[in-house]
Amino acid sequence: MADNKISTDMWEKVDMSTLDKEVIARKSLTYWQDAWRRLKKNHLSMIGLFFIVLMTLLAILGPFFSRYSYSDQNLELGNIGPTMEIYQIDDNDFVYMNKEYKLVEVTEDGHISKRLVPTDEDMMQKYRSYEIDGKEVVIDYSFAVAAKKSGDPDAKKFEIRVNGDVIDIHDKVFNKTYWFGSDSLGRDLYIRVVYGARISLLIALVATIVNFFIGVLYGGVAGYTGGKTDNVMMRIVDVIATVPLLLYVIMLMVIFEPGLKTIMIALGTVYWVNMARLVRGQILSIKEQEFVLAAKTLGASSWRILVRHLIPNAMGPIIVSLAMLIPSAIFTEAFLSFIGLGVNAPMASWGTLANDAVAGLRTYPYQLFFPALFISITVLAFNFLGDGLRDALDPRLRK
Amino acid sequence: MGSYIFKRVISMIITLWFVITITFFLMHAIPGGPFTSEKELPEEVLEALNEKYHLNDPLYKQYFDYLAGVATFDLGPSFKRIGVTVNDLIIAGFPVSAKVGGLAILSIIVVGIPIGITSALKQNSLTDYIVTIFATLGIAVPSFVIATLIIYFFSSKFSILPSHGMGTWKHYIGPVISLSGFSLAFVSRLTRSSMLEVLQQDYIRTARAKGLPEFVVIGKHALKNALIPVITYMGPMIAAILTGSFVIERIFAIPGMGKHFVESVGNRDYTVLMGITIFYAFFAIVMILIVDIAYGFIDPRIKLGE
Repeated sequence: MADNKISTDMWEKVDMSTLDKEVIARKSLTYWQDAWRRLKKNHLSMIGLFFIVLMTLLAILGPFFSRYSYSDQNLELGNIGPTMEIYQIDDNDFVYMNKEYKLVEVTEDGHISKRLVPTDEDMMQKYRSYEIDGKEVVIDYSFAVAAKKSGDPDAKKFEIRVNGDVIDIHDKVFNKTYWFGSDSLGRDLYIRVVYGARISLLIALVATIVNFFIGVLYGGVAGYTGGKTDNVMMRIVDVIATVPLLLYVIMLMVIFEPGLKTIMIALGTVYWVNMARLVRGQILSIKEQEFVLAAKTLGASSWRILVRHLIPNAMGPIIVSLAMLIPSAIFTEAFLSFIGLGVNAPMASWGTLANDAVAGLRTYPYQLFFPALFISITVLAFNFLGDGLRDALDPRLRK
Repeated sequence: MGSYIFKRVISMIITLWFVITITFFLMHAIPGGPFTSEKELPEEVLEALNEKYHLNDPLYKQYFDYLAGVATFDLGPSFKRIGVTVNDLIIAGFPVSAKVGGLAILSIIVVGIPIGITSALKQNSLTDYIVTIFATLGIAVPSFVIATLIIYFFSSKFSILPSHGMGTWKHYIGPVISLSGFSLAFVSRLTRSSMLEVLQQDYIRTARAKGLPEFVVIGKHALKNALIPVITYMGPMIAAILTGSFVIERIFAIPGMGKHFVESVGNRDYTVLMGITIFYAFFAIVMILIVDIAYGFIDPRIKLGE
């Protein structure tokens, strides 16, 4: 029997490190933490998010970097592009010639001082002369007609002579006074584009709020209540959705005065219908699940079930469709402004800026370039973010 | 099937009635009549005008008159253009819009869907990336920018295309491209993603395992299912494109419905506004109905009328 005795040396001490095997190595993540982790891996979405943040910062802080207000105009300095070809007259005298063959005094690094007053001007002979620092500067643009006839875009159109000697372009510099150039009334395009960003992002915010509060709740109530209530509520949505959004907004604009406030009211009254449909569909399928039954059994009120249980579970599709609806709201505003139903002058949105640029497009294409670029970047950014969110929030793709 | 269509037509009429009622009362809620203008009209003239257009009748009578008019396809006279009815404007404008729109829709179907299919079949290839880039750009760049760029490059710089008006086939190129741009990009993206999803389904594997030629697998088994979301999107899209785009028609100076609509907004021609809105809504509802019926043919899983 002694053989069966367990002696102390038969015991072996467990190495403490093996205990760690039981510890769950990966931190338990909530649904949102997990989604954020996956979103971070999607480079395009992060670029989109970065640009949205950048645009927001620009809209908020942009005006502080500019001396001008969106309505400041200087008719003498109209239509100057973001880059300027400058000519050297003297050691310290530089001029820029605009597309109408008029001289503007600039510094070597691209600051605009003032428009010069010609001493002599002859529209028939097509020349204009200036006196700068005792030197006679003559612009002879009589070549322009022949150049236009030849059809060659590079043909010589003018000549600048200083005391009789023809001078060449000294340098091509960036416009330091008007970063994005100036429009036909001599308003700073940069600050106008920044204010355009404010308007577009404001529209985006309104669209978000409206979709979130009206759309989600409306669809939620319709889906959860069901039956006749649902039927009536969805027919109302059908009616609103039948008339295209743009038509509705235009009709409301006729009733109120055109302007930013009206666009917001108009978007606010009709823009939530798609969201309402989507949420209703989601709620219809979620409300049959057991956890809703459990909540009911515990005596939760309908409101609590809807707001605390059903809507959070439909959040994925809601956010994705929100990221897709925002660009279309921005587009709608741009379209309305483009056809002259948008914000009132002198306030400018990207749509009005683009519209203003169309008239002088041939000569001053940069005036369309900047607003078009900003709309495109913003819409693209929201699209990228939306794509990424769809992948990140889809539980089927969860690893 | 028959009873389903009947039910849908009834609900269509009800929706249309709602739209008419809402637009009617919205228009009549506007302060100031259609003849209030900058220059003051003499009392008698105003009276005569009101009498002529039955604006002195009680509102409910005007409403029922208008309803009766719409039911007999008579949308009333234009307030601002003398001797022209809303029907005249629609008859003049719609064919123009529909011609441009029809071509745009054709190019969306002929170009957009095959592009989407190709890039789905060659996922992650160079073709796929190029298509994705163009599709993304097409969605992000507004149509008025595309239109102005076309005018800038092809009309002003190279003088290949006319910049405005209608006439030769060349006049159609600019408007059709800018009108179809967004939808073409969207449709090709939609086709690509739904095709990718369908290709992973078991029945595709089964079809391949049966030894069916790849052409049949893609063309018959995959495509039919992949096109369902595309068709859902196409219904309202076709209605929107055929009835004309306000912006494109304005830029290219096309005398279509969109132009009439924008003009009637500008000079507050209420009957034209109402008429075009109702026509538009009617068109949209019919398109949605057609799409719903088309589902039944494409996807046998969808049982209509249940």
